[in-house]
Amino acid sequence: MNTIANIAFRNLSRQKKRTILLGSAIAFGVMIVTLINGFAGAFSSNVSENFSNLMAGHIFISGTEKGPNDKDMSVIRNDSSLTAAVEASGAPTKYITRRSAFSGTLIFEGKKIRTNVDGAQLDKETFLRERLLLKDGSWDAMADETALILSEKIAAKLNADVGDTILVQMQTVNGQNNVGEFTLAGISFDAGIFGQMMSYANLSYVNELLGLAPDEYQTMGIMLDGLKNTEVSASEIYARLNESGVQLFERGVKDETGAETPFQALLRKQNKESWEGVKYRLFTINEMLSQIKQIVAALDTTAAIILVVLFVIIMVGITNTFSMVMFERIGEIGTMRALGVQRGGVRSMFLYEAVFLALGGAIAGIILALIVMLGISMINFGMDSPAFLIMKNGHMSFYLPPLKAVGNVIIIALLTLVAVSSPAGKAAKLTPAEALRTQK
Amino acid sequence: MKRLIAATILAIAAAGSAAFAQDLPKILSTLDAQSDFTGKDFAAVYTIVSQKPGEKDTVSQVRMFRRDAKKQFAMLVVLPEVNKGQGYLREDDNVWFYDPTSRKFSFSSIKENIQNSEAKNSDLTRKSILDDYEVVGSKEGTVGKIAVWIIDLKARTNEVSYDRSVLYIRKDKTMLLKQEDYSVSGRLMRTMLFPKYVELEGRLMPSQILIIDELNLGERSQLTLTEQSLAILPDKVFTKAFLEQVNK
Repeated sequence: MNTIANIAFRNLSRQKKRTILLGSAIAFGVMIVTLINGFAGAFSSNVSENFSNLMAGHIFISGTEKGPNDKDMSVIRNDSSLTAAVEASGAPTKYITRRSAFSGTLIFEGKKIRTNVDGAQLDKETFLRERLLLKDGSWDAMADETALILSEKIAAKLNADVGDTILVQMQTVNGQNNVGEFTLAGISFDAGIFGQMMSYANLSYVNELLGLAPDEYQTMGIMLDGLKNTEVSASEIYARLNESGVQLFERGVKDETGAETPFQALLRKQNKESWEGVKYRLFTINEMLSQIKQIVAALDTTAAIILVVLFVIIMVGITNTFSMVMFERIGEIGTMRALGVQRGGVRSMFLYEAVFLALGGAIAGIILALIVMLGISMINFGMDSPAFLIMKNGHMSFYLPPLKAVGNVIIIALLTLVAVSSPAGKAAKLTPAEALRTQK
Repeated sequence: MKRLIAATILAIAAAGSAAFAQDLPKILSTLDAQSDFTGKDFAAVYTIVSQKPGEKDTVSQVRMFRRDAKKQFAMLVVLPEVNKGQGYLREDDNVWFYDPTSRKFSFSSIKENIQNSEAKNSDLTRKSILDDYEVVGSKEGTVGKIAVWIIDLKARTNEVSYDRSVLYIRKDKTMLLKQEDYSVSGRLMRTMLFPKYVELEGRLMPSQILIIDELNLGERSQLTLTEQSLAILPDKVFTKAFLEQVNK
């Protein structure tokens, strides 16, 4: 058997140009598919991690109270049970944020724009200062209670400069109309498309505008040491909250139709329930972004379709080439058969040759893809890139699951074997006499 | 003698003021009664012309059906053509919005603006000033040359859109001429003017309302009421099926 494999391997070098061309076709197809797989592999974690930074947490706890006429009111009045549960859970917590937020219309000298304003404890959220780079103004100016930080784009749309007074039209937690007066304290560099929509103000003033007390807030964000610990930590915190006896919404509510994310399904369920006091819901960044998984699945499906389409084309080429190879080597096959090589041996020789070709091409394709990935990931697109959310610190990143790479190689080897099976079969069926008398 | 005259004037003013204070609930209940159609149904067409600086005027038209006894209303969007068929339905305190494109109902609010205008759903429904607000101040004044009572109101609950309203009510005939609505923070948000009234089965109701946005200067909406009717409406008008049916 080793002799047959050796002959097959040696045969590959007999027509170097042809082998290189066929191998290159396979390598190109594998490279494209590997790049898509690598992009999809990092896409989900990059988006989740970037959203975690934007929203200041991997795990979130928000409180809801039923107001008059059964209207929901978002508020956390006393968080001692929540902080105790987080501590008791042993979750690897980097920091905890306490925020209130509203969506309102900023108005300045006849110009207006709708945006989200996050009220944060700016004196405690030091990481925000590190992440949010100011183009104009200073963090010291945030000591002013009515201070506001806007992104570059929003400030430009309003034509507002640091020191200007900007009105905001919004609603309180009860839905009453309210107007606030902010002083523009800083203009931040745009951090991607979602970063542009975020504006930051002092929690106390945002609370005042929302009609909440200074020590109250709406959402607790728990930032962990990494995305990987999110689900385990969330389950632990939920269990500790359950033990502490606070009112909790059920986790993992699923929509039967599949039209909603778990987070949307949770909100819908909440609208149907009735309770007294504050009831908490715990959710993770993964639940909020569960539709990302659908995008990853779509990318993987696209990669699989590309793989099949490319290989159907390549297979036609391989079948054709090996038919020619069989014809070229017909005398050689006759000699081998006359010397005692069985039909199976002839078939195996062709199949080995195809497998070596496929493996060589596939490995070259994966190596090429890794080189391209390395090259692309070294380019710094900057934190203000429109594709900021799918990148890691301004760089494109890739993750190729090893099993996926091995799977691709196996698929290619099998497809190549299928492509070669017909010419290999024909070669094996030749009788020595018939092969020896065939004129090329 | 001077002291006597001054004391007499003060006494008359105090008596007048006390009488006015006593009349306030009556004035406000008259206003409430003007917009309360309990015992009857009310239907009208509201045409809303909205002006925004640098933009073309937009015209919206809604057909409103009200049954105040049951806190119900159904509102059908007639104009603009692109939104035709959209509708709002109120059942008790729930307001539903119907989108004929998706054929779905979604939760809405009485505090929402109508078709991107300055008018809110609540402007077109029954109001109970006495239930929703308490009087925190009152004085006499004028709107143009017309003598008015100026009544300062503070919301009793947070169920109303505006925390504070100031009403300018004509003295000789209880008619609301002007209304100023303030935010929770105390900033004037909009001014409403009621220049035209019609009499409908013995009750006065505004037929034209001008709403001026005090935050976005130059933005205003004008509401005109036509085809007012107090005829009894079929029960099915106040159902989700009705909003779906009119789109078929």
